[in-house]
Amino acid sequence: MDVTIFMQQMVNGFSLGSMYALIAIGYTMVYGVLRLINFAHGDIMMVGGFLGYFGIAILELPFGAAVILAIVGSALLGMASDRIAYRPLRSAPKISLLITAIGVSFFLENAFNVFFGGVPRAFPVPAYLEVVVDFMGLTMPVSAILVPIITACLLAMILWVLYKTKYGMAIRALAFDVGTVNLMGIDANRIITLVFGMGSALAAVGGIFWAVNYPSVEPMMGVLVGLKAFAAAVVGGIGSVGGAVLGGLIIGFTEVVVIAFLPELGGYKDAFAFIFLILILLFKPTGILGIDFEKSRF
Amino acid sequence: MRKLVVLATSAAVLASISFAKEINVGVVMPMSGPLAAYGQVCYEGVEFANSLQPKLKNGDTVKLVLVDNKGDKVETATATTRLISSDKVVGILGALTSTNTAQVIAVADKKQIPVIAAVATNDKLTEQKQFANRVCFTDSFQGAVVANYATKDLKLKTAVVIADQAQVYSLGLAKAFTDAFKKAGGTIVKEIKVSSGDKDFKAVVSQIKTANPDMIFLPLYHPEASMITRQAKQVGLAKPMFSGDGVANQTFIDLGGDSVEGYMFTDFFDYSAPPTQKSKDFIAAYEAKTGKKELNSFTALGADTYNVMINAMNNCANPSDSVCINNEIKKTTAFEGVSGVINIDKNGNATRSAVIKVITNGKAVYKSTVNP
Repeated sequence: MDVTIFMQQMVNGFSLGSMYALIAIGYTMVYGVLRLINFAHGDIMMVGGFLGYFGIAILELPFGAAVILAIVGSALLGMASDRIAYRPLRSAPKISLLITAIGVSFFLENAFNVFFGGVPRAFPVPAYLEVVVDFMGLTMPVSAILVPIITACLLAMILWVLYKTKYGMAIRALAFDVGTVNLMGIDANRIITLVFGMGSALAAVGGIFWAVNYPSVEPMMGVLVGLKAFAAAVVGGIGSVGGAVLGGLIIGFTEVVVIAFLPELGGYKDAFAFIFLILILLFKPTGILGIDFEKSRF
Repeated sequence: MRKLVVLATSAAVLASISFAKEINVGVVMPMSGPLAAYGQVCYEGVEFANSLQPKLKNGDTVKLVLVDNKGDKVETATATTRLISSDKVVGILGALTSTNTAQVIAVADKKQIPVIAAVATNDKLTEQKQFANRVCFTDSFQGAVVANYATKDLKLKTAVVIADQAQVYSLGLAKAFTDAFKKAGGTIVKEIKVSSGDKDFKAVVSQIKTANPDMIFLPLYHPEASMITRQAKQVGLAKPMFSGDGVANQTFIDLGGDSVEGYMFTDFFDYSAPPTQKSKDFIAAYEAKTGKKELNSFTALGADTYNVMINAMNNCANPSDSVCINNEIKKTTAFEGVSGVINIDKNGNATRSAVIKVITNGKAVYKSTVNP
């Protein structure tokens, strides 16, 4: 294997990993404040993809406007899911919350299946995103190059919100102790709604990117991606935003490396990604950047 | 108690003397889920054939009982059990993919209910199963058709094969092609495995570009195949690509966009070259009803599962006798179906021709017919 091919595969892995990272951030944020693994996150991503599709194909909006529609729509949906499904269970045992999250996930998948059918639809990708860039023998479409850049920008934005704003301070405080935060005069429910909104907006961006890079949308598209992003969040250390990004990249690279070096076993690349997850958990149960569970967060 | 007995006896007598009975035929199809694109077009054919010929010779009405298996193995087994035990079907059509059809056959074979598969092409499906039948060709035939066409007509010598680890159909067809291609003097330079549901194939296409084969064989279904063609185009990989019947529908072309131009695949039937009088009549009736000028090959095959089933039921003295129906299905010879002339042997396998199509300007265009 010569250097160009090796580099090409690394670029492929980087692009795929950034996609997982984008979605993993949403998992980790919600987990940070609620200790809830929001299994519906992958499906919010699917809804984001669909909203983008509707925006472009049916409402005939320009791409940028469709993206905004998808982000706003998904953020509202995320906040609504918190209001309707999770808030009434705030004081219930964590396991009830987890089961509810699975319920929300099934609800979204099946609702979309019933209303829009299970047949994959072609996502109309704007031509300027499909241009292929050739750099020293490495080829990559513009859309795939944009993914890591946007992920980095969004990561910076999230970190800025968390560490430089009052809301961020409230979110970090919430991660320590919900009861005390309430006593300090902060409306914990409002902050949690905000976290769901931010997480879901990120999922929508992830959904749009997914639909642009692999131009089809269908109701089950979020299942496997969501699972892998969840694995990424755990590998990186769930609760840590930086860890989610690191975990996403690791899972992305693992998959590409399996195909690059063991093409015969390519069908098992998901298995490799999850074996990796098990190994990490065996040797470092909190994940790579995870800090001790009940102390610090973010 | 006595009243009940009297009631039951009179009901039984009534049922036996009423002349026009209703006979249930089960259909298991993925109407939702990842395979819905195929399931819906295939069921359309079954349903339409039923509307054209709803009655048997003796005046009995055939009623279709459809169960959606959502493209899932476990759902398929449950659906089949339900059809047999609570709907009392005399025969079952469908299940579409080989993986799911194997489940239908496993359940139905034990209960001695005949199954006719429309498009399940895996070779092993009918092995040692008395009640398994099909109206399509097998993968060993399909694989050989592609291999011969590629080596003899297109003079291609090296190939990369991409198989789907999770699909019986894909693994079987990959093997059939590999064997036939090697026999014809070709070399398989690389074999890559993927898995249903994968979307990112950048690493796969980069690999193929390095291997630089004359052609690529993709025994996959349309979701994966279309993503590969798109990503192949992005890295500038422009080699002839070939698939089996797994991409034989419009959704594949919609998903692949202009990246599927020149893509070749085998199919069972093409509406622009109707093979029998029955095809012409069916196409005309279908056009009159739906306004669609085209007839998908899966629709034609779906119609033929129903036609073969009805034909077998008509040949039985008692059209509810499942064992007799099964024997009659296996005697089908030179049967004029919608999709072509069908012969079914004692193993339940059909002998029939295949067509090769090329995607040109966003349409699957008929190229040639290959006879067995």
